[in-house]
Amino acid sequence: MAVVTEAGPYPPAVIEEFERLAEACRICYQCGTCTSSCPSGRELYRGPRRLVRLILAGEIEAVLKSDDLWRCTECGTCTEVCRMDIDVASVLSRLRRLEREHGTAIHCAERTAADVASEHLHKRPRIDNLRFGAAMVAKGHLPKDKVGAAEMGVKLALQMLPFGRKGPAGAAGPAGDDAVTLPFYAGCAIPQDHALHGLVHEVAAGFGVRLDEATDAGCCGHPSRGSVGSQFVSDARVYTACPACDASLEEAGLEAVPLWDALTERAGRSSQIALQAAGPAFVPYVGCLADRDTALAALGDAAAQSGAAMVVDYPTLHNGCCGALGGMYRGASKASARLLAFAAESRAPVVTTCVLCRDNLRSAARELKIDVPVHFWPEFFTAVEHTPEESTDD
Amino acid sequence: MTSPNGNGSARPLVLLCECAGTLRNIDFDRLETHAGLHADVLRGNHWCSRVGQAQLLELMDAGAGGEAGARLPRQLVFAGCSPDFAARRFTKLMARGLQLEIADIREGCSWVHGDDVAAVTDKAARIIDSSIAYPDAPADTMSYAERHDTVVVVGGGVAGTQAAAELAQMGHHVELVERRPFLGGRAARIGTVFPTNDCGQCLPTTDAQAGTRKCFHRNVAIDHPDLAIHRRSTVEAVTGHPGDFQVSVRTLPNMVTDACVNCGTCETVCDVESSEPGKKAIFTEFYDGRVVRTVDLETCTFCGKCAEECPVEAIDFSQSPRRTTIHAGAILTATGCEPAPREHYEYLGYGHDGVVTQVELTDMLDDWAAQASLGRMPVEELVMIQCAGSRDQRHLPHCSRLCCMIALKHATRLKTLFPKMKVTICYLEMRTAGVGYENWFLDARKAGVEFLRGTPPEVQFDGQGRPVIEVEDVTAARKRVLRPDLVVLSTGMVPATDLEKLTETLTIDRDQDGFVEILDRKNRATETSGEGIFVCGSAAGPKALIEVNTEASAVASEIHNFLTSAGRRGTAASQVDAAQCVGCDTCSTMCPFGAITLVDRPESAPRPAEVKDDGKLAVIDAQSCRACGICAANCPEVAIAHNLSDDALFGRIATMTQGVEQPVVGFYCKECAGAAIGLSGQRRDRYPEGVRLIELPCLGRVSALHIVEAARLGAAGVFLAGCAEGRCQYRTGDTSALEQMQIAEEVLAEAGTPLPLELWHLCAVDRMSVGRRIRMFHAKSVGDDISPELIEREMELIGAGAGALAGAPAGACEGGGSCGRGH
Repeated sequence: MAVVTEAGPYPPAVIEEFERLAEACRICYQCGTCTSSCPSGRELYRGPRRLVRLILAGEIEAVLKSDDLWRCTECGTCTEVCRMDIDVASVLSRLRRLEREHGTAIHCAERTAADVASEHLHKRPRIDNLRFGAAMVAKGHLPKDKVGAAEMGVKLALQMLPFGRKGPAGAAGPAGDDAVTLPFYAGCAIPQDHALHGLVHEVAAGFGVRLDEATDAGCCGHPSRGSVGSQFVSDARVYTACPACDASLEEAGLEAVPLWDALTERAGRSSQIALQAAGPAFVPYVGCLADRDTALAALGDAAAQSGAAMVVDYPTLHNGCCGALGGMYRGASKASARLLAFAAESRAPVVTTCVLCRDNLRSAARELKIDVPVHFWPEFFTAVEHTPEESTDD
Repeated sequence: MTSPNGNGSARPLVLLCECAGTLRNIDFDRLETHAGLHADVLRGNHWCSRVGQAQLLELMDAGAGGEAGARLPRQLVFAGCSPDFAARRFTKLMARGLQLEIADIREGCSWVHGDDVAAVTDKAARIIDSSIAYPDAPADTMSYAERHDTVVVVGGGVAGTQAAAELAQMGHHVELVERRPFLGGRAARIGTVFPTNDCGQCLPTTDAQAGTRKCFHRNVAIDHPDLAIHRRSTVEAVTGHPGDFQVSVRTLPNMVTDACVNCGTCETVCDVESSEPGKKAIFTEFYDGRVVRTVDLETCTFCGKCAEECPVEAIDFSQSPRRTTIHAGAILTATGCEPAPREHYEYLGYGHDGVVTQVELTDMLDDWAAQASLGRMPVEELVMIQCAGSRDQRHLPHCSRLCCMIALKHATRLKTLFPKMKVTICYLEMRTAGVGYENWFLDARKAGVEFLRGTPPEVQFDGQGRPVIEVEDVTAARKRVLRPDLVVLSTGMVPATDLEKLTETLTIDRDQDGFVEILDRKNRATETSGEGIFVCGSAAGPKALIEVNTEASAVASEIHNFLTSAGRRGTAASQVDAAQCVGCDTCSTMCPFGAITLVDRPESAPRPAEVKDDGKLAVIDAQSCRACGICAANCPEVAIAHNLSDDALFGRIATMTQGVEQPVVGFYCKECAGAAIGLSGQRRDRYPEGVRLIELPCLGRVSALHIVEAARLGAAGVFLAGCAEGRCQYRTGDTSALEQMQIAEEVLAEAGTPLPLELWHLCAVDRMSVGRRIRMFHAKSVGDDISPELIEREMELIGAGAGALAGAPAGACEGGGSCGRGH
C-alpha cells in the first residue's frame, strides 16, 4: 500500500521552483559523473546524481530532507564535469535556499545539527551529543514533530551516556602518572617538515603523551600521496596526525585514530591538563579526507575546553575542498576562497586537522592575497597544567 | 440521369455523384440547378461503378477531360469524393489521360456536416463553383534531360567500393575516387570486427564467384571493366547540374607501378622513416589486389636508391600529379568516419601512460594474444570507459553507435585470452541493438566482465603513475575507487577530415554533428539535400558493417533509378517573371531544393524600372524545382508564378467564403494534412459548415497576403495545417508558412482586427483528433465559449476510452497552437 507522506502540500512557490529545477535537469542522463567527481563523496552517500533523480521524480520531500544538501560545499566540480552542461551546483544551492525559506516543517537532522552547532556551539560541552541526537532523529527514534529535535537528542544522549559530560574533578590521575606511550604513524607529509615534526612530539608531550613513532611506517598508500598500498603492519591501534594516513590505514584494515581527537579527549578526562588555544577565536576546517563529524566534534571539544570561539558558517563548517580535490594543489577553489574570505572577515585564523589542507590553504591564501594565518592543530592548541581552582569548582 | 444539355460548346462538364445515396444531407436537385448556371451537368448515382466508368470512357472518347479523342477539349469536374479517394477509383482512366478536377463534396462536405440540408447544399455548391472557376493546373509529365551514365564515388572504403562494384555490375560506368593509396578504408585495417568476430577485409561476391564474400585482393567484383579507380585522389571542384556534373579530380602519383612484385628490396634500402611509426618512406599496407607498395610523398627524399635497386623497375619518380575532369550523372559520398581527435578525451587522462583508446587496444591485442599463448598476462586489471567524449555537450553530442560493441568485443576477447584478468566496463548505457548484438553483451557477462554503471569525470594517477578512477557505482548508489593497470577509452567517431570541404564543394548540407545530412531520416536514407548527390555508410553517421553493406546496396539501386528514370509526373515548375524580379536573394535562400540561382540579368531580359542594368535575376531550374510554392509565397515582389496562381488562390478564397456568416478558413497541404483531413472525413467526424477548407500543394504556398485576404472577406479565424512537425514533404513549407502567419498576425493586429490564427502539424494518425481540433477552433473563432457542455460533448465523442478519465478535470486545454495530439 502506498505510503502517503504527512508533509502535505507545499506552498506554490516551492512547487514552482521544483518545476523550474526539474526543467533545468530534464536532460540528465543519470550517468553519475557528478557524484563520481564530488569531493564530498566520501560522505555524500547518494550524491548530486540521486538528488537530480529525485527532483525529476517530483519527490519534493525526499529532496528537501536529504542530508546531502547540507554536505555540499559548493565547490562547483559537479557543474564542471557535467556532460550535459547542467549547473548541478546551482541546483543544489537553490534547493538549500528553498529549504531555508520553506522547509521549517522539515527536520533535516544534518541541517539541524549544523544550525545548532553554528549557533550554540560555545554553549554546548560536546558536539558529539549533537551528532548523536541528530543520528537518533535520522533513524526515527525521536518524534520529528516535536520542537528542537536535536536538543532532545542532546538531552537523551546526556542521560544515556555516563561520560557524555565532562567527568568530575579528580576522576583521573595527575598527568605525570597518567603518561602514556601511543603507537604513532607519522606518514610522509609531517616528517618532511622538521619543525612541524618536532612540534607534534612536543605538543603531544604537553598532554603527557609520548609518541612511539613506527620506524617502518613509509607511505600510507593514499592516492593523493602517490603510492601503492602501505607496507606498515601493526596489530594494535595506531594514532595518526594526517587524515590521509587515517583513511588509508582504515582501508587497509588497521584501526587508526586521529591523534588530535585522542589528545582532546585526554585533556577532557584529565583534571591536570587543560587545552590552551593560541587565539581567542578560530575558523575550523577539516578538509575532505577526514571523517567530518568526528573531526568537527573533536574541534568543538577543543574549542569548548580552551575557551576559544569556534566561528563557523555554512558551508565552511563542512569538509569542502581546499583546492586539491584530494590530491596536489591545483589552485584556489571556490570553497577555499570563501573559507579564507570568511576567516579574514572574522579576524580569526583557520585551524585545520589536515596537514595537507594546511599547505594547500596557505598556497591558496598566497594566491588570493588574503592575509589569513592557517594553522595545523598542534600549531594552535597546546596543553597547559590545569589550575586547581576550576577543578574544585566543579 | 439527366442528359447533358451540351450542344458542342466548350462549357465545363460537371459529373455530379450522389455516391450511392450516402450524401443524404445534400439537395441534389438544387445543386444540379446551381451547377447548371456555369456548366453542363451529368448527374449520376455511382460514377465509380463499372457502368459509370464505362460512361466516363465514352465521354473521354468524345473529347472531354482528356486527350484521348480531343475533338473538343472540355474541362471535366467530378463532384463527389475526395481527390485521394477518386484517384484510387479512376486509376485506369487516369492512366489513359483522364484529367478530372475534383470537387470534394463528400469527405469535404456532406460526410462531415449535420442535417442542415440548406447549409450543406450551399457549401457543396461553393465547392463546385470553386473547382469550375479555379481548377488545378493540369498535371505535367516532365522528362529529364539526358543524364550521364557515369557515377563518381568518393571514398574507397567498404561502403564506396561495394556501391561502386554493384553500380558497375548494373551496367553503369563508375569512377571511384579514394584519398589514400589503398582501398578498404578503416574496416579493412582494424583487425576483427563485430558482430561476426572475423576480419573486415571482405566484400560480397558477385554471382560469378564462389562463396558469399571475398577479401578485397581476391574479389573480382572490383576488377569490373567499367570500374575505374583513382587512388590518392580528391575531388577539387564540382560544377554543372544533377545528371550533368563536371567533377574535377586531382590525383597524386603513387610512384610505384603495377609491375611491383612485392619483393621488399626497396624497403630494405630505404633510409627514410615515414610519418607513420615503424614505416619507411616506401611501404606497403593493406593489399587490395592491385597496388602493393606506395611512397610517402611527405617524407620521401627522392634519393632514388630504391629505384636503382628495384629488380622489376617498378619505381617511377617521373610521375607527377594530374587533374581529370569527369562528366558524371550522379555523385556518391562514401567518405566514412574516423576516430575522434584526442582533445575530446584528454580529460580522461589520455596521453598519460596507462591510458589508451579502443583503436589502440586493437593493435595491442595481437601482441597480447601472443603473450597469452606463452602463459603471460600483460595487465591484471583493466577498466574501459564508455562514452569517452561522446554524448557530451562539451565534446561530441552524438552517439557513435559502435563503441559499445567494440568494448564488448574486446572485453570478451580479453576474458578468453586471460580468464584471470579483471575487466571492468564503466558505462552510461550499453547499446546493443542489432542482429546478434545482445549475445555479445550476454557472453561478456558470462565471461566475467564487470559492468559498472557510472562514468568517471577524470582519471587520476598515483605517485607511481598508476591510474586511479573514482566513480559512482550508480546502481549500487555508492562510490568506488578503481586502480587498474590500463584504462581503455571508448572514444567516438567524427566525420572524415575532408568531409567539410567536400560538402562545400558539393553544396550539400551537413547535420549538427558534421556528417552528411540525409534527405529524410525515415524514408530517404541515401539521398542528400542535393539532387543527384547521394550518400552511404558512415559519411552520414557512424555505422556498423552490416548497415554499411546494406546502405551500399541500397544506394546503388537508388542511383540506378536516378540515372535511368526518364522523368517524373507532377505539376509544372514555378517561373520567375523577369519584368518583376528585382534580384533579391529571398527565393534562392528559401528554396529547400537549391533550385533557384541568381544570375546576371541578360541584356535582353525585361526588368522592373528600379533595377539597374547590372542587376541579378532569379532563375528556377525546372529539373530541381518540386513546385512547392515556397518561393512564390515569399517573393516580396510577387514575381514568381506557381502553377496554382495567386489569382486562382484568391479566387478560391473568395468563392469558398462567399455568403457565409463568420467563415473559418483552413488552408491545408494535400500531403500529410490532407491525409489526416481526408481520413477524418471518412470517419464522418463532423464540424460546422462554416469551416471552409482550401487545399494547397504544400503549406509553404500560403503567404501572408492569402491570410489577410481571408480576413478581409470576413473570416473569423484561419488555421493552417501542414505535415507533421519537422516532416514537411517539401522540407521547409511549414516554417515558411509559420513566418507568413506571423506577418499576417502583425498586419491584422496593426489594422485592429486580430484573428485567431493557428498552425497545425498533422499526419494520418491525427485522423481521430483533427475533427475535434477543427470544432474547437471554430468555437474559439466565432466567439463561442469553450463551455463545459462543449467539453462534455467532446468527451462523449471520444467514446469508451474517455469513461475512465471522466473524473479528470477537463477544460484546462484551450486547444491552442501548442496543444498536442489527443485533445
